[in-house]
Amino acid sequence: MSIALIKPEPTLWVARFGDELYRFALGRVSDEACAEELVQDTLLSALDALASFRGEASERTWLFLILRRKIIDHYRRQARHPEVSLAVVTPDGPTEADFFQEDNGHWRREQYPTSWQSADGALEQQELQQTLRTCQDKLPSQHAAVFVLRFVEELTAEEICKELSLTSSNYWVIIHRAKLQLRRCLEKHGLGRAA
Amino acid sequence: MLRIISCRQATLFVEQQADGALAPLARNSLWLHLRYCPYCSRYAKQTVLVSELARNAVRAAASAAQPGLSNEAKERLQQLLEEGERR
Repeated sequence: MSIALIKPEPTLWVARFGDELYRFALGRVSDEACAEELVQDTLLSALDALASFRGEASERTWLFLILRRKIIDHYRRQARHPEVSLAVVTPDGPTEADFFQEDNGHWRREQYPTSWQSADGALEQQELQQTLRTCQDKLPSQHAAVFVLRFVEELTAEEICKELSLTSSNYWVIIHRAKLQLRRCLEKHGLGRAA
Repeated sequence: MLRIISCRQATLFVEQQADGALAPLARNSLWLHLRYCPYCSRYAKQTVLVSELARNAVRAAASAAQPGLSNEAKERLQQLLEEGERR
């Protein structure tokens, strides 16, 4: 098969890339209807932008670039809180005060991180991944979006601040809280010694 | 000069250090804190695992072993593309 000539063929997109694009989206949005919508948006945007496709990248790479952009937009919408402007850290969800003592900033006794059992080998386990997903769903939507953009989509802090109109200090408050909460949730539901 | 920091600050610094966003002075304070605080030192290791787990979960969910688009969805999308192309 020759790869020298790349001419986009939209009528073959579904057959060639449909499943792959869909799985990529589904891994991120955890909702079938939403993943389907993202794929549809991607294909239709690609069709509109056909003229801008110059065959520099493969058709597949180009479609995935568009999908990735759609996914980032999806998280941006998710981060939007109806009453609170994006520049403000949403007030719901646990804050640092739930984890640390007010006066000296040390861990509260009941929040001491415990050691995790076989955490290394456990990382592959499907059950644990499902637990994490449940934990992520418990985060305030803005925190969840920032967490995923940073650690799954691997955007830089700067890019995330720009996408979500966050100040750097608000960004760090959110990262800190999201990590504290996810770590505790995982410990409670699977990785902790008592489990 | 080394500044004594709290666990609250140390855990934030851990996140910032991973991003290369920590000034040298704060880095030294964090290093010292992690040497004497078993809880934060545990936190520092576990917080990395949390991110890795999130990445792995997405990769697993996107693997070829997972079901793809339903036939109905494929037909619908195919129709949209064919209509779109004719326009």
